[in-house]
Amino acid sequence: MYTGPVGSAALTQQIHDYNVHVDRNDVFWMIGVEHDAVEVDFESGRASLNVRDLDVYDDHDLANSLTQGLGIPTPPIPGVFPVRAKVSFDVEWGGILGTAQIENNSQNFKGNFLSTGATIVWSAEQEGFRFQSDSPADPKANLISVLGREKNGVFFT
Amino acid sequence: MLDESYNPWKKFQEKWLSRRSLIRGAAGAALGAGLLRPKFTYASDEDDSEDGACLNPKAIPGGVFALKPFGIFVHHNPLNPAAPLANISDPSQITDFDGFVGLTHIRGGGTGTDTMTGARSQLAFQADMGFSKGKFIGVDGRVHKATFAFV
Repeated sequence: MYTGPVGSAALTQQIHDYNVHVDRNDVFWMIGVEHDAVEVDFESGRASLNVRDLDVYDDHDLANSLTQGLGIPTPPIPGVFPVRAKVSFDVEWGGILGTAQIENNSQNFKGNFLSTGATIVWSAEQEGFRFQSDSPADPKANLISVLGREKNGVFFT
Repeated sequence: MLDESYNPWKKFQEKWLSRRSLIRGAAGAALGAGLLRPKFTYASDEDDSEDGACLNPKAIPGGVFALKPFGIFVHHNPLNPAAPLANISDPSQITDFDGFVGLTHIRGGGTGTDTMTGARSQLAFQADMGFSKGKFIGVDGRVHKATFAFV
């Protein structure tokens, strides 16, 4: 969340960064959710992710998230300790824009992939602050979204 | 005279790794790993793991160096709006995985509220989110079925 333009080029303007942290096996920002939190109709290029009151951390900014609170020297971003927060979100994938069948032998993954439209409505709440995204969501806000039916690792072969 | 062996980014990484270990160590001593993040606990009815077993997937071996030039490696391949779909890197964060994945890269706006003062402000956001739903081989070597959100 930014007070100005969005993106990594504007790190110093970021004031909130919500994520579930990297786990002890280095899995990046993934957390188990109820099975019905995700619905997929791959043939029609649709999927949804709906979660309520998920416990996350607000690391303040991406730099502190990736450095686990150390900050960085350039641009100067001081270290910040994470605070607890809760987020709720409804992400919808829909509208097939492109398709690709991929077999990547260097990364050991293969599958069918769809480029789609997507929207998100979400909120966050923590001590002293809450956020509510604009609703209804703007479909034009989607930069890129992908759905895939894939196999990787030992399932690749 | 320059000390050619001095590398500020290497020093930064060493400090980061040290801090990372420190945080993990302190968390384990104080409240257990749960202080750092919730555990994977949602098992499928079809899951063949033992009741109450935690679902611990494994990270993909690949990924990217984030926050250049600091060189912090993350096991994640961000979507690139400029790249053709056929050229994407593995969008899954979990390896030994067979199932559905979704990723999205959305920007938008909303309203932030200071709950102490009631002051409101317009804020912009970028959401890099997604999911994985399917079967995977966990760190325990067993096949599990589960659903994960990428947050």
